[in-house]
This record gives sequence, C-alpha cells and structure tokens, in this order.
Amino acid sequence: MSAAARTVEHATCLGCGCACDDITVVVQRGRLTEAKRACALGTAWFGDGQVPDVVRIRGRAGTLERALSEATRLLREAKRPLVYLAGDISCEVQRDAVAIADRLKGAIDSLAGTAAPGVLAAQRRGRAGATLGELRQRADLVVFWGVDPDARYPRYSARYAVDPVGLAVPAGRRSRRVIAVDVGDARGPAAADGRVAIPPDAELDALGAMRAQVQGRTVAPDGPFGTAIALVHEMTKARYVALVADAEPGPTPSDPDRAEALIALAQALNDPTRCALSTLRGGGNRSGADAVLTWQTGFPFAVDFGRGYPTYRPHAGAAERLAGGEVDAALVIGAPATLPDSIARGLGGVATIAIGPRASAAGWKPVVAVDTGVAGIHEGGTAFRMDDVPLPLRPAFGGEDVRSAASTVRALRERLEGAA
Amino acid sequence: MTTPSRLRIAGGTVYDPANGVDGAVQDVCIEGDRIVAELPAGVPRLDVRGMVVMPGGVDIHAHVAGSSVNHARRLLPEEHAADPVPAPPLADGAPARSGTGGTVPSTFATGYRYAGLGYTTAMEAAVAPLAARHAHAELDDTPIIDSGFYVLLGNDDYLLRQIAAGETARARDYAGWLLGVTRAYAIKIVNPGGVTVWKGGGRNVSGLDDVVGSSAVTPRKILETLAGAANGLALPHPVHIHCNNLGQPGNSATTLESMRALAGRRAHFTHLQFHSYGGERGKGWKSAARDVIDYVNGHAELSVDVGQVMFGSATTVTADGPVEHLLYASSGRKWVNVDIELETGCGIVPYAYREQAAVAALQWAVGLELFLLAKDPWRVVLSTDHPNGGTFLSYPELIRLLMDRAYRDERLKAVNQKLLAGSALLDGLAREYTLGEIAIVTRAGPARLLGLPQKGHLGPGADADVTVYAPDADRAKMFAAPRYVIKGGTVVVQDGQLRRASAGARLAVRPDYDVAVKKDVKRFFDDYATVAFENYGAEP
Repeated sequence: MSAAARTVEHATCLGCGCACDDITVVVQRGRLTEAKRACALGTAWFGDGQVPDVVRIRGRAGTLERALSEATRLLREAKRPLVYLAGDISCEVQRDAVAIADRLKGAIDSLAGTAAPGVLAAQRRGRAGATLGELRQRADLVVFWGVDPDARYPRYSARYAVDPVGLAVPAGRRSRRVIAVDVGDARGPAAADGRVAIPPDAELDALGAMRAQVQGRTVAPDGPFGTAIALVHEMTKARYVALVADAEPGPTPSDPDRAEALIALAQALNDPTRCALSTLRGGGNRSGADAVLTWQTGFPFAVDFGRGYPTYRPHAGAAERLAGGEVDAALVIGAPATLPDSIARGLGGVATIAIGPRASAAGWKPVVAVDTGVAGIHEGGTAFRMDDVPLPLRPAFGGEDVRSAASTVRALRERLEGAA
Repeated sequence: MTTPSRLRIAGGTVYDPANGVDGAVQDVCIEGDRIVAELPAGVPRLDVRGMVVMPGGVDIHAHVAGSSVNHARRLLPEEHAADPVPAPPLADGAPARSGTGGTVPSTFATGYRYAGLGYTTAMEAAVAPLAARHAHAELDDTPIIDSGFYVLLGNDDYLLRQIAAGETARARDYAGWLLGVTRAYAIKIVNPGGVTVWKGGGRNVSGLDDVVGSSAVTPRKILETLAGAANGLALPHPVHIHCNNLGQPGNSATTLESMRALAGRRAHFTHLQFHSYGGERGKGWKSAARDVIDYVNGHAELSVDVGQVMFGSATTVTADGPVEHLLYASSGRKWVNVDIELETGCGIVPYAYREQAAVAALQWAVGLELFLLAKDPWRVVLSTDHPNGGTFLSYPELIRLLMDRAYRDERLKAVNQKLLAGSALLDGLAREYTLGEIAIVTRAGPARLLGLPQKGHLGPGADADVTVYAPDADRAKMFAAPRYVIKGGTVVVQDGQLRRASAGARLAVRPDYDVAVKKDVKRFFDDYATVAFENYGAEP
C-alpha cells in the first residue's frame, strides 16, 4: 500500500440515484480522505473506504473456498430459493446474479421493488420522461410535486433541473420558474417561486382535475381545485415542464394510484406543450438492477424462474415471499445496509448467504457471509443513474486491496453451473 | 456430434450469390471459424444432399438492444408473460438461459431465436451515444449472433452547432470521434432536425428546408453533412437514414427530395416502406411506392431496406419522438417518450397491424410493391424494422409472400382494399423471388451494403456462418426452421434444434479523425452535459 496520495477523478457516487460523476476522490495511506464535490450524503457513502474483510460460516471465520462450497450446497438443496439484489453492486454483478437465479429456478427481486407503484403504473400507461440533462437544457418550469430533492437527492437541483445553465435556459435558475406543491407534510423546496398546497386526501382528485383541464374539459376555477387548476394553466403555458416526484416510499404511504395520475398528467401536457415526469430514485445502482432484470428476463423486478422461465409476480415479491414463509434459502448480493426493513426482517428466519459490502455485519445473521468491496469505491463496472443513463465506475482503491463482489459472485455462479 | 474444427457440408444445393453460385450442388468446407476452398478426404461430413445451403442471414436493421429497446421491454409485461422461453437444452458449452419473447424479447431469447431462424448477424439500428455502454452490455448478453449498432446523430446539439457555424470538417471529425468512443458501426440519422424541434417545444419539421434553430441548419444540411462525414471517414456502411415525415401521407415527396439531396453520394435509406406514401395529410393516403422505387432503381449509389409491415403484433420503437406522440394521440395506446439530453429522443407505442385496417393494408401493400418493383436486389434488402413493422420471426412469412404469387394474391384479397387504388400490387405483379434472390436480400446484399467482406457469402476466407434448409413448397415453413445453422464454425442448430450457443462478436469501427476536435467537444460537455466527458461513451 503506497503512502503517496492517489487521486481518482470523475468518480461516480452511488449515494443516491443522482449518480453524480464529477467526484474527485483522494486516497492517502490506504484511507479515502476526501470526496471533492460530494454532498453530505455522498461523503457518507464514500466514507473512509474501509470495509471489513471477513468470511464467516455459521458465525465462525472461514475460507472463501469453504464459504462458496457451503453456499453452493445450501442453494442447491433449497426448494424455493430467493436471490435478492441489494445496493452497491455493479450491473456486471447483477447480470451474474440473475444467471444464478435462472440456474436455481429461484425467485429474484431487487431494491427496485420499493418503487413498485411507479414501475407498475408505467407498465400500464407508459410515461413521458427525459434524461436529467434534458431537464437541464430545456425546463423553464419545474414543479416539485410533494418532494424537496434537497433531503434525499441533495445535488439534484444543483446539477440537473434547477440551477445550471442549459441550451434553452441561458440564465440557469433565473430562466426557470420553480413551483413547490405541498401535499400535506410532503413539502416542496422552500426556495420555490410559488407554492400550491394540496391536502393528501385530495391529491388524486386534483391530479385528475388538472388532466381534465389540459384535455380541454374545463374545470371550475373557483371550485375545490382552484389552485391546482391555476397551476396547470401555468404548466400549459410553459415551453417545457419538468414535473418532479419521488418514486421511493416516503414516511407515509402514498395512494397506489398516485404514480399513474402523475404519469397521465405529464403525458397529457405533451399535447399543448412539452412535459417530462422525473421520478426520483434511490442510490446503490438500483436502477441498474431494474434494467438488467428487464433485459435478461423481460420484467423489471419480482421475477420467478420456478417454472424454468421468468414469470412476473409484482405482488409477490421478496417481501411477500419472505413474510409468507415461501423461501427456504436466500442469496443476498449487495450491501445488507441498503435493504428495506421488510426484507431484513424476513431474512431473519431463513438460511441466507450474504455476499457484499459489510455482509458479515448483517443483522439477520447469515449462514454464510462474504465481505466484498463497494461498487464504485473498490471495484469498477457500470451503474445506472435514476434516469437509466449508464455510467462507468472508477474505483479509488486497486483491485488487489479488497475482495471483489464481481469475482466472488462469478465464482459462485460457476460452481452452481458446474456438474452437481 | 460435437463440433469438429473441420467440417465438409456435403452435397447440398448451394446459393452463394456473392460468388455467382445459384443453386449448384457442391460442398462447403469449414476449417475452424472460416470457410476454406477444400479439405482433405476423411474429415467429418454433414450430409445435406437435397437441402438448400446459404450463408448465415444478415439483418441490416433491427431494434434488439439498448436503452430504447429496454424501455419497450419494460412496457410489455403482458407480452412476456404470454410467450415464455425456457432455456433450450444445449449439448455443451455455457449453460443456456431462459427468457421471454413477444415483440421485444429478452436478450438471450433474441440470440436464440435469430439463430433458430438461420440468422447469424444482426445490426441494432439506433443507439443514443449517451446509452452506448448499455447497448454493448445487452449485446454481450445476446448469444450466438455477431452484432453491432448504429449511433444516432443528426439531432445532437453539438453537431447542429457545427453545421450552423459552417464547420463541416469539424462535424466529420466529431462523427469519427463519436463512432470510436461509443464503439459503433455506422452513423444513423433519425428524422433530421425533427427530434430537436420536438424537444424544443415545437411539434416537428415538415420538410427538408425547415429551419432548425439557426437559419443555417436544415434537415437538408444535416443529411449533407453526415453523408459527407460517413464517406469522408471511409466508413464501411454509408450514412443510414430514417427520413423526415415517417408514416405521413404524402411523405414520398420528402423521401425523394432527401434522395436527390444526396445524389451521387453513397447513402442507405432505411424502412423505405414507411416513407413511400402518396396522398395528403388530412385528405387520404395512397401508394407512392412506384415513384420511390423507380428513383432507387436508377441510382446505383443508393441502397434501402424495405421495412415491411406484417399483420399482427408489433411494437413501434424509434428515436423519432414526435412520430410516436402522433401515434399515441391517434391510437390511445400506452406511450413512452424519453428526451435524451443533447442528442436525440425515444418514443414507443405498442401496436398491431390488422388486415381489415385500411392504412395497415396500404402499408403492407407498399412494402411488397417496393420489393417486387426493385430492379437490383443487392440494393433493396429485407427488413421489417423489427419490431416496428413486425418481428424478425415474421421474415419466413415475408419470404413466402415474395416467392409465391398465388399465396400473395390470395392474401391480397383478404385485406382492406379502401386505399389500394393505384397500387401496383392490384395490377397483378407477377414476380416471384427465386431462392437466389432471397439469398441476396437476406444475406449477401445486407453484408455487402454493410461493408462486411467476411459475411454473407461462402467463399474461402468468409466467416463459417452457414444455414441449411430442408426444401418445402411452403417457403414460410422452410425458412422458419432451418435444419442446420453453423455460426463461426460451431454447429448451433442441429437437426432443427438449437444445440449450442457460442458468444457472438462485436462489429465496430474506429475511424481516423483529427483528434483536435476532442478539446472542443470537451468544452461543450463542460458547459452543458451532465455526464463527464471522460465518462462518456463505451470504451472498456
């Protein structure tokens, strides 16, 4: 390990779905000492680059060789295995993980399941969207629908929709108008140019009224949705509207039909003007899992290979299977810390194999745990931004320092694909 | 039988038009992954007496991998659920993968199904440079077939700026850089300028001389600049053009004007069927196939693929965002639109072509007219613009329509006649494609147009990609299920069953260009892009 500082430029941060790729990472004496331009969330995600390097089998230290043998045995003997794609792994690892699920005739799910309502709504209706850079170039009206991106997507405003100069918005922030829609406690950004308040129980009706208005069915401006109607007038008059909503679950569950109503409004607005719905997604390359599962199986999450081919079980994903006792062995690939509570809880009662960053620290006590590096910090590959833009990962540490998830999962795949 | 490194495909009736072989009984010899002139006696033989031997099929234009295709897949869970693809039982090699089909199959199913059809090469026709890395990853997961992609240019803001500034040389160097950095094979133009107008809050361009932002930038200028760039960079395949006004009545005028704009220059016009309509917007449609194909027949520098419409399910997926918005508005179906920063667009609408629908019947007839009136099959090759006009699984049915006049006439009677007045098809086109001509439009021709000297023929040195069909009077049946398919010397289909799934190779170009352009592009990236210049593209 060299004492000299090492600097890696254009590193991609997977702290949230923004996947900012302008980070300069500095490593000194084996520690990550700085992540320039990273937000607080990103700084925490990079940490100091130290990850445990432990292989644990039934609670005791073991060799990788034995861990892989034990994992192979457990998975081969399982009748209803589940593969779960957690966060902080590359698309390359996700591709191998889907191959494992296919081989096992098991079920596979991912963090994308947390955003299921939005995915399902888009499957019913389609969507009107744009990559984040197009919002930067075009959007002259940005409507934050019940979300302040600063909380969970800290550089969203600075890099994409609001502040930067774009081709059609030469003065950046000053060329745009920002509206905050406060849906109960889910408030838009404080620094908006205008605010609209909508009670949570009126949100769906308001979205429906706005869409009706766009489609030329006039809604009474002095009725209960007057402010929403005034807002949609403004949206219709803008040149390019960015409608921004959070696709990840909030503190209170939203109506499952809300995602579809937002899509429908955004689509309708493309008749009188242009509009893109930007749905905010969390980090750890969860969008990559969605993309990889889609191209390999035809479905974005909650896939079951039990019949020897992929079937789609969007209402019987990992959480439901675990809760229903339908899983007898689970392979979790990725960082256990990124798991939703529902999954982590369910894993407690199942024989599990965990391969990923800090796997040995998983609270649900895996039978086999293999620690690996973090995609984007210790190992390379590809990750997807929340808008499906693929980005290369530039690890700050060399491959020799930390066991990689890529080589570990590949080795497990090869064992499972070998003769029994 | 394992795959031997030497193999004599013995006694078949060979169609190898690139080498002047038209139905001669002769052997085809393979050593390793190449065709060789001769092999010693005693090497393993594949007895194909009585069967038809052709080079492996080459698809010049299909949408099979990448960001837009994956958006389409995600939109179609109902199709995937209805068409499961269990892992095929392979004899050896890497374990097979399961998947799903429908109009936009999963990647593994795509590779298996192409090979099962006797195709060994397919080109993905439209990849946004921003998502090139994604397209390569999907092609890596598409087994057996050799593949590459065309990278989208012509609505990208950097290029339009160069055109506005009269910087033709810099535009060429930029195209050269972009092809290399994305590991692409050719330049694709989709609705030049029209996507930019759509993204900018307008609706579309309407003709070649509409202004796109700067008065110096017009669709005509974009076509000229990029055709010049492709030829100046000495690319193996010329600029691949999806014209303005796709799917509009009267669009043949725009198509012909685009062709004239590039007169004397090499250019490929894709899915010509969608661009060969007469009539007028709001006043009806008719065929203009004869006008368009007459022009193509008279201009040896042009080539086209037809983009035949086939009845049944399809998914329209294109960078032509404004067209998909129109289709959404008129059909009320699901609709995806994704505007892609600084580059292009993406639109998707699942669709179905019905025999009883007047416009679909016209589209079907126009495609067949183009085929049947074409004088030079080497320059008018087969495509359905998969999955836009129909899926690649409909190629055998299309081949039957071309080879079997009685069948075609019978089908013609069953379709809606309302818009067919004036169609040459109604006048009774007697032509029937021969097996030799089918070999041209499905392999030899596309390979030659792509500039792939090792593909589409069976001469010494060619890639050992060979398809063997059992003859059948029902040509659809014959072409749907080859008896043997050999890809790069590996027998992948044996006795009609997929038995091996080797990895395919990537086809990409790396043209020479003046690297000074990189500095200027980087400056543009620093000013506007949300992806670092250094992270752009798809270099490993």
